[in-house]
Amino acid sequence: MKKLMPSLVMVAVSVALTGCIQSEQQDAKVTINKNPYPSTYQTLPQQTTLIKNATVLIGNGERLDNADVLFVDGKVSQVGQNLAADGATVIDGQGKWVTPGVIDVHSHYGVYPSPSVESHADGNEMTAPNTSEVWAEHSVWPQDPGFNAARAGGVTTLQILPGSANLFGGRGVTLKNVPSHTMQGMKFPDAPYGLKMACGENPKRVYGGRKEAPGTRMGNMAGYRMAWAEAAEYKRAWEKYDADYAAGKNPAAPVRDIELDTLKGVLDGEILIHNHCYKAEEMAMMVDLGKEFNYHSGTFHHAVEAYKIADMLGENGNCAAMWPDWWGFKMEAYDMVEENVAIVDAMKNSCAVVHSDSGTTIQRLNQEAAKVMYRANENGFALTEADAIRWITSNAAKSLGIEDKTGSLEQGKNADVVIWNTNPFSVYALAEQVFVDGAKVYDRFDENYQAQSDFMLGQE
Amino acid sequence: MTLRNKRFKSSLIALALAAASSAHAASVAITNAKVHTVTDAGVLENATVVIDNGVITAINPESVAADQVIDANGKVLTPGFISSMNQIGLVEVSAVAHSRDADAKKADITFDPSVAFNPKSSLISFTRKAGITANVTAPNGGDSMFKGQTFAAKLNGEFDSVFSAKNGVLVALGSESKGSRATNLLALTHKLEDAKKALDKAAKMAAKNGKGDKDKKEPKRSEQEINALLKGEKPLLVYVDRATDILAVLELKQRFNLDLVLLGAADAPLVAKQIADAEVPVVMGALRNLPGSFDSLHVNLANAGKLDKAGVNVVLTVDGDSHNAHQLRFDAGNAVANGMDYQEALAAVTANVADAFNLDTGRIAVGKPADIVLWSADPFELSTTVEQMWIDGEQQVLESRQDKLRERYTTSSEMPRAYTK
Repeated sequence: MKKLMPSLVMVAVSVALTGCIQSEQQDAKVTINKNPYPSTYQTLPQQTTLIKNATVLIGNGERLDNADVLFVDGKVSQVGQNLAADGATVIDGQGKWVTPGVIDVHSHYGVYPSPSVESHADGNEMTAPNTSEVWAEHSVWPQDPGFNAARAGGVTTLQILPGSANLFGGRGVTLKNVPSHTMQGMKFPDAPYGLKMACGENPKRVYGGRKEAPGTRMGNMAGYRMAWAEAAEYKRAWEKYDADYAAGKNPAAPVRDIELDTLKGVLDGEILIHNHCYKAEEMAMMVDLGKEFNYHSGTFHHAVEAYKIADMLGENGNCAAMWPDWWGFKMEAYDMVEENVAIVDAMKNSCAVVHSDSGTTIQRLNQEAAKVMYRANENGFALTEADAIRWITSNAAKSLGIEDKTGSLEQGKNADVVIWNTNPFSVYALAEQVFVDGAKVYDRFDENYQAQSDFMLGQE
Repeated sequence: MTLRNKRFKSSLIALALAAASSAHAASVAITNAKVHTVTDAGVLENATVVIDNGVITAINPESVAADQVIDANGKVLTPGFISSMNQIGLVEVSAVAHSRDADAKKADITFDPSVAFNPKSSLISFTRKAGITANVTAPNGGDSMFKGQTFAAKLNGEFDSVFSAKNGVLVALGSESKGSRATNLLALTHKLEDAKKALDKAAKMAAKNGKGDKDKKEPKRSEQEINALLKGEKPLLVYVDRATDILAVLELKQRFNLDLVLLGAADAPLVAKQIADAEVPVVMGALRNLPGSFDSLHVNLANAGKLDKAGVNVVLTVDGDSHNAHQLRFDAGNAVANGMDYQEALAAVTANVADAFNLDTGRIAVGKPADIVLWSADPFELSTTVEQMWIDGEQQVLESRQDKLRERYTTSSEMPRAYTK
């Protein structure tokens, strides 16, 4: 995606020129605030922490045995042997395993919270096939007890997405899994927005059932293409406005359109695509759709048939977010293979992710990844724990565009850390302590670190 | 992450062997196994189990005589697991109406979906691979609080695999989106009262006349089902969550001497003592820990273990879509990780299921059907696989449609994938 020259530079240039060129009187420049609901997240109280003699999965494919993990000021400082730090809180990691915090790229916590009563169904704006104007963050109920349950399963970061009823479901939001009574208090600072798109059965069923477009898969494709064509026009209109203004003219600004702002954000390379898309032939078309309108087709979620096009996904740099074994609930989920994630992962330039889309399995993404690893190894693969942990840490971070901040225990990254009582790829594994930015947010043996939502407080 | 050379699959050999099920399978002795009998005999190390003609004929005999001897090398042998309360054999694809036979708007207490069971469903070979030899299938029913009746099938894919039909009457109680929970509870109570009265009256008449009243019309089919409950011929299976509703059905059990089974029972830990005293089993999902409604504010991953410790017979089931039934062993493992005793968790997916639904399977004991599984290691562990399985003494094929798809897409070929079969 070719970036526009920043308009600030243009303004500076035009100001410099006003001394010698007569230009018309200019109205105030119209700009769009791209972050009107900013994060207010603050790191919880934390201290320098040293975990000693644990089995450490870095998240980048490496494993260190009998290793120490040191985090200082909320960042990973060092991982290695015989580390020491003055004044550090020391945790005995003997027999324990340490991994990066678990990341789920597909959750509906907060927008479909527990209890799942009618007034809580806030995840699907099923009023039009294109609702790019809605933002999942505006539906998030931070008191969803699920957030606390997932934290006990090691989840430190999660993307909340709108549902899949629409071709364009709206923006997703990436949250840090810390208790907060506002959405902004959980919001992951500087994480890019995502746009939820949906292929296949859902949109055509929802709208076709109402005798509205789309009613078929070809109707789905037409709906995407018409939306992107309009978004391209909108983008051009703003670029022309910016260029004319920079040239000293006084153009009329385009009419602001909240829906098109989101689509333009994708075309500008600022918003990432998160596409609910099960089937091989549909994913192949969505890749071409991205090329047709000059944006990247991003991550395919629920990609049950990703194994059929694994090479193409690698070549095009798409992530695929998958379940280990969910299948059969509809036709587009019929061709499941338990090795799907491993087959995708084996390709060059791959980005295989294990996701949940479930308030239940998000609590056990380590087990979900384990199932893939063991089934694949029974059938000709040679995957290790160090490989498999990437599917729920670094690859997930890459899918969300936050791989520079979290997803591995490499030096300088956020100290999002889980200490497990045993190998996390065992059914008996439990997260014992969980840290976000170096601050302890969960401790299995200390009630002071077991958050409870307002909703559950005082229930008899 | 390179592909290793493919190992030659033993399942393919099994496929070749399992051409057609013979009338009389060869006798098999499995030696040197760690046998979880799920009986008072407990766990037997280095034990021998002999199966012949579909049943277990000997455990640790003086001398081993069998057509085939399999050395288990210390691996684990358990009764086949039993999944339950799903729609296996009634639903192929959940969202495809024509592949669904578990729902019927007008279903009532007489709804017996066992006649619609499809032993060739692709779910069966897939579920079998997870060590599950039998399944209790439940209809979803329709508008009535009576959802129909459960049945049990062996997962061997044979046309005669339903081995227990109409073996439980399903009722759904609890919160309602329209109306009051009291309505259904009262309706159930009145049905039982009326039927009891009619039976008592008929018994009186019979005693007076010396034999049955010939002029008396035969009761309607639905009445016969209520009568069967009152006679304890089959269990009343009640979906119920809130503690008040659990107590109400426990009272019905006492009053009418019912064989009662609780399903779901989110609040069960609040009234665990009453459930245990009434000797009522609880069928529950091990992983249910989100408060989905105001009827289920006390769900917790520790509940299965808590109920077991309180003396309740727990049956573990996989909540949600039938296609996930294969998760049963992992759910049991999670129950153990969250405090349930290991042997009790094993019983909760074998013997306890059989007892709740009156099925003749679920234990390794002489005379029991040979529904047994040889595992590579601890059956609950994610890394463990089923190595061999017998249902009614017949060795089973451990390959599913999913394996075929994987093979097709991981085998290199110059030609389109469609030529790889």
